[in-house]
Amino acid sequence: MTVDSLFILNTSGTPVIQKHWCDDVSIQRASLVVVPAFTKYLRSFAAMHDAEPVWSAPLDTVCIHIQRKELVYLGIVSQEIPPLEVLELLEGVDQALTEYIGLLSEVTIKENFTTVYQLLSEMVDSGCAVTTDTSVLRGLVPVPSLVNRVIENVSGIGIGTEKRPDVNTSSTPWRAQGIRHTNNEFFVDVVEKIDAIVNSNGSVVSYDVSGDIGCKSRLSGMPDLLLALNQPEVMDDVAFHPCVRINKWENEGVIGFVPPDGQFKLASFHVATDASPRTLPIYVHATTTRQDLARTIELSAEVGQCGGRPIEKVQVRVPLPAQAYNIRVQCKAGTYTVSNGRTSQVEWSMKTLKAGDRSSRLVIQYFVRQSAVTNAAAGNSSPQAVSSDQDMAQEAFVDFEVAGYSVSSIKVDSLKLMRESYKLFKGVRYITKAGSFQVRF
Amino acid sequence: MMNSTIQTNIARLQIMKAKVLAALRKGENYELKTELNSEYKERRKEAVRRVIANMTVGKDVSSLFTDVLKNMHTDDLEIKKLIYLYLINYAKTQPDLVILAINTFVKDAEDTNPLIRALAIRTMGCLHVQEVLDYLCDPLHKCLKDTNPYVRKTAVMCVAKVYDLSVDVAEDNGFVESVREALSDSNSMVVSNAVSALVEMNDMSRHHDVWRLEANTVGKLLTAINECIEWGQIAILETLVDYTPRDEKEAENICERLLPRLQHANGSVVLTTVRLLLKYEKHVHRADLLAQFSKKMVPPLITLLSSDPEIQYVALRNINIILQRHPKLLSKEIRVFFCRYNDPIYVKYEKLDVLVRICSERNTEPLLNELKEYAKEVDMDFVSRAVQAISRLAIRYETAAENAIKVLLELLETRANHIVQSCMVALQDILRRYPRRFDSLVDGLCEYVDDVNEPEARAALIWILGEYSESVSNISNILTSFLESFLEEEDSGVQLALINAAVKFFLKSPQQGQTLVLKALQTATEKCANPDVRDRAYIYWRLLSADPNAARAVALAEKPAIELENVDLSPQLLEELVNELGCVSSVLQKPARLFVYSLAEKAGVPRDSGISAMGLDDADSVAAGAGDAAGSSSAGIDASNEGEPELLISF
Repeated sequence: MTVDSLFILNTSGTPVIQKHWCDDVSIQRASLVVVPAFTKYLRSFAAMHDAEPVWSAPLDTVCIHIQRKELVYLGIVSQEIPPLEVLELLEGVDQALTEYIGLLSEVTIKENFTTVYQLLSEMVDSGCAVTTDTSVLRGLVPVPSLVNRVIENVSGIGIGTEKRPDVNTSSTPWRAQGIRHTNNEFFVDVVEKIDAIVNSNGSVVSYDVSGDIGCKSRLSGMPDLLLALNQPEVMDDVAFHPCVRINKWENEGVIGFVPPDGQFKLASFHVATDASPRTLPIYVHATTTRQDLARTIELSAEVGQCGGRPIEKVQVRVPLPAQAYNIRVQCKAGTYTVSNGRTSQVEWSMKTLKAGDRSSRLVIQYFVRQSAVTNAAAGNSSPQAVSSDQDMAQEAFVDFEVAGYSVSSIKVDSLKLMRESYKLFKGVRYITKAGSFQVRF
Repeated sequence: MMNSTIQTNIARLQIMKAKVLAALRKGENYELKTELNSEYKERRKEAVRRVIANMTVGKDVSSLFTDVLKNMHTDDLEIKKLIYLYLINYAKTQPDLVILAINTFVKDAEDTNPLIRALAIRTMGCLHVQEVLDYLCDPLHKCLKDTNPYVRKTAVMCVAKVYDLSVDVAEDNGFVESVREALSDSNSMVVSNAVSALVEMNDMSRHHDVWRLEANTVGKLLTAINECIEWGQIAILETLVDYTPRDEKEAENICERLLPRLQHANGSVVLTTVRLLLKYEKHVHRADLLAQFSKKMVPPLITLLSSDPEIQYVALRNINIILQRHPKLLSKEIRVFFCRYNDPIYVKYEKLDVLVRICSERNTEPLLNELKEYAKEVDMDFVSRAVQAISRLAIRYETAAENAIKVLLELLETRANHIVQSCMVALQDILRRYPRRFDSLVDGLCEYVDDVNEPEARAALIWILGEYSESVSNISNILTSFLESFLEEEDSGVQLALINAAVKFFLKSPQQGQTLVLKALQTATEKCANPDVRDRAYIYWRLLSADPNAARAVALAEKPAIELENVDLSPQLLEELVNELGCVSSVLQKPARLFVYSLAEKAGVPRDSGISAMGLDDADSVAAGAGDAAGSSSAGIDASNEGEPELLISF
């Protein structure tokens, strides 16, 4: 048994849904002691996401949780088991629910609780994860369709249009028999993410490229595909969808698989750092100045190396320190928003950025609250005292997308169809995105 | 006439009132009861949904048991599932009534739809009621031999539930034997479920003798694993953990067949595989193979670090343990562990630990610059840990010391309150580690005298001043001004440091130090409330008056170099945690017997005292980490005194 109980909590820590696979005493223990203690633990953090995901809870239990949007998924464990198994399961639950219900919130979960329970009892049997694959689940639990729901509620009559679910027990559990499509299409998306930290002097502190090969398959019958890449050796770590024949990849370097129907992630990969030339598609420069209580940050963005393509969806986020007030922003290109939460943040967006654009500049100016400065200057011992460095914004986070460009220069060489004789329409797209792209001032 | 009409009206009102009250008392359950018995299918369906909804928010709907049961016979799979859910919840409280449902279960277990067959058998197991057992045996026999693997795999899991209820029923009917046979099933899902069920029964049984993994089964499992989905793979991998290969050849073979598992998107599969490789490694002696294992292990571990923060955290905790076994494993990958501004704080702490651990002598410069960036962040705990990491690097690599000191001095210049405090403690450690190498910088530290306001930092600065009194120009003034606030000092550590410093200053330059040391000892012995401080002062006084040379030997003794040993786990705990790699204990870094109740009982750990008696003192020393090193150094000479209680007695 891996998990004793599974809870879905809202952000204030109240259970929305719970399911147990343990005896009565453990159920009482979980809901009367462990969950309240866990809620208290979550609340003890100023920012909830700083709570450690594996927490040693009272009464010989361990709480393992993830936080996704408005919900907290909590697994309670009382055995020596791998926490990653629970984390992956919770992640799987979140993904399955998202696929079935759409936007997840306390309200939508409650509205669809019958679906949630059906899913949970298929995904976990006596505390062990059984499956998290949504293509398998779709065969076991019908997807609630909005139209059916509406008709049912209005007329009070159920219409039996829902396909009677059936289990797929073939040797390819991810693909059902007898799938038919009028147009046979297969699309491949190679999406690469650059994680980078760039220092104030423009030097690259850390640089990492990882990517996913996503596919959308609308093929009839039992197609067998062979996908070849131009330079598979660039990828130093690849994780495949279960449909891929690993031996074939190991021996021949090609990806052979019988695809699931619909959308799926064929592979995720990591690019060997010595193979990637550490190119940045975008450069963001910042100069900071301070004068008395005024702080000024001048940002400029420039196209780097990205195969001459324009950079799209550029977004630069600058979190400002807590003492900032009277924030003023000027920009020549794009738009900006200033959000005021616990701390303020300036967000600068540009739809496209082309090479040679000289006007893409942004100036942020703000003032620092007096008290903080005098405190620091007087060497005041209050824990809130701040240094002169800390009233200056220090980082910008950059988001962008470059369509048609692969930073690792991985390309799909060929896609061959076997076992089926129809004509296959295929398409490949490349996108390079920012992962966690951070520029220091 | 009038009277009688009024009376009849009152009587009517009273009847109405009674009715309303009754309806209110019966409440929603009453309404649901009517709905459940409605002649319209849709209304019954909606009613079942509402019953379950009420059940899940904790309202008591057990009184509706029979009414819900009436709806059990339906073709609607959703309703069937919901009613089964209801039964599982209330079966234990109403075991007699469950018998009413048995017929439907038995019928469903022979349905043409395999989903319904599996659902029936799964639910009957989950009911966990003795009374059902007799009725369960026949259907279970059939389902274990079902043509459909989905039904078989569900039935296999059901056997574990039967075993939990009654070992005899499970054994006598040959159910356990059937599960053992299922290990050779043609379908990999059935195989992996059989493994899970056997492991579970093994745990439940008294002598753990339900099943032992044999060499020929290992081969079967390794074949099945290729076709399993991720959860089946995990189940099989976990059973292999307890297997000891017969010889080197077998260990090599298993490891080679495990390697492809490293290429899985599921982090748990990856980490369990790493755990197995580390375990079997002991049996493998071929250097080329071992090198290959290490090489293959690295990329998947790195990939885990680009997952969600929760997974990163578990990966990092485990990497921390793996590195204590294989210190060189990730030294090329240091940049992957650089902290990102928006990492959750728990990920940042772990990354810091790993960074210091994997940093090689060549890497110190980029890492020091990186740590300097972290020290400028807002989170104060993170800042102090980053500064601590700087001193740990300097202590570890002599070549890094100079750079580290440069970075620390730059940080001091920011004069940010909390940075100054941590930097002072860090500097003390480095100066202690490399005596007489950085004399020149001490004088400059005096300008921060007014900035150090935390006890630990103040004690650190005073220690530095005492140790390097000859390099400080106006040492006498500074120590005097510290002495003036001696009694207001809340922390005895600072008071002790001050006495030590005064004594050292006096021994080095008796002329200038005399008045100071006298004043210090006088204040401490006469006015100080803390017995430790008083005693220390008395000892010094005696020493100084009896034999200044002995005092010199004690106070100015050559101090043993501080080391970073206690950042590592004890070898014994490490061994235990490597074996449990990827499990809860390796993440919490304490052995399982401390938090798993059944294991605690077995190990004979007393429930309360156990935590301090066993293992946790290891964990404590880890948590204290470099802090300990600092503590011992700030104590200066007292280490040599503490071992000799005679001194105190003779006094």
